[in-house]
Amino acid sequence: MSIEAGHRDFEALEQAFREMLVAREVLTEREVVERAELLYARTPALGARVVARAWFDPNFKTRLLADGSAAVRELGIEVGTLKLVVVADEERVHNLIVCTLCSCYPRMLLGLPPDWYKSVAYRARAVREPRRVLAEFGLILPDDVAVRVHDSTADMRYMVLPLRPAGTENRNEAECAALVTRDAMIGVALPGAP
Amino acid sequence: MSHDVGGQLVPGRIPRGQHPFMPWEMRVDALMWVLTDPSRPGGPQMTVDELRYGIESLAPEDYRRLGYYEKWLLSMIEILARHGVVDAAALERRAHEIALERAHAHP
Amino acid sequence: MSARFAPGDSVRVAHRGVAGHVRTPQYIRGRCGVVEQVHGAFRNPEHLAYGIRNGPAVELYRVRFPLQDVWPSADSSLDSLDVDLYEHWLEPVGA
Repeated sequence: MSIEAGHRDFEALEQAFREMLVAREVLTEREVVERAELLYARTPALGARVVARAWFDPNFKTRLLADGSAAVRELGIEVGTLKLVVVADEERVHNLIVCTLCSCYPRMLLGLPPDWYKSVAYRARAVREPRRVLAEFGLILPDDVAVRVHDSTADMRYMVLPLRPAGTENRNEAECAALVTRDAMIGVALPGAP
Repeated sequence: MSHDVGGQLVPGRIPRGQHPFMPWEMRVDALMWVLTDPSRPGGPQMTVDELRYGIESLAPEDYRRLGYYEKWLLSMIEILARHGVVDAAALERRAHEIALERAHAHP
Repeated sequence: MSARFAPGDSVRVAHRGVAGHVRTPQYIRGRCGVVEQVHGAFRNPEHLAYGIRNGPAVELYRVRFPLQDVWPSADSSLDSLDVDLYEHWLEPVGA
């Protein structure tokens, strides 16, 4: 590597790098700041809106499962070049998302991934022993439920559409969205769970 | 290679700690997006594939030790240095200066 | 371009030891699965990693593997693993 990887101040390195790129007119400071703010504003609440809409509108759900990015844009959420694939839980199917090769994640929809998702331990074990991984997160599935693990090895970014929790029949769409957590959309938790 | 970890037997529980996202990390993420944006006039400076390959090429001990955004930053710099867009030696000097300035400002 | 495989086709992942940037995880090489979805054509990451941006596009597939076929000690015979794989890594099975 051109730059020494040893113990160093990466914050200073980022500043020096960005300054050099601005000085050479490769990009502008403003572009970087705006993009950083946009990314910081992306939260799992966006994904939760999508999930709740799918729960309340079966036609939307069908479109969401056919083309995730197009369906999300219907809700006014701009996701750029994200190729979103939404995988639906069923009574006897539970989905789990991982990227074993790096840490691919639908950031434009859910925001930044948690540190555990990027850990070697999760990436190594989720494809090999998903039920033990889920158990560590407090989720034990019945024996007759199949676990379906998705390894995001290419351009597709995956998100789970969990099942709507029992007992929410009298809740409205926004109340249901509030039950959907980031972990439920990765597949390590169920919605409405603490 | 050290990044291809699917199925490896990793002992112990999945670490659940979460570090707060630092502004410099957000800027690294933003730099990645800006530099790989295919809609830029003249095309992108690099692709995500080049970036990933750069990270995969790190020494295994560095791959395991360095943080997520630290690896991305090193990979971006490596690619642009190779393309002649940045001068690695000048970059090192400037980074060192900034680190010293910060150390003096916050003793 | 036309896709070589269709949903429902049985495929085997090539068993190649390849240096450099590949997006076919080690653990899935040599395994047999069924095509679930045809994602469409994309530039080959094995070229893009070297800055080659105008190489031929390759078809990308989501392929499903029984988890116990990949890991014999897996907990449940019901569980499966979906992996996105490029056409040049897939061979037909039982043609």
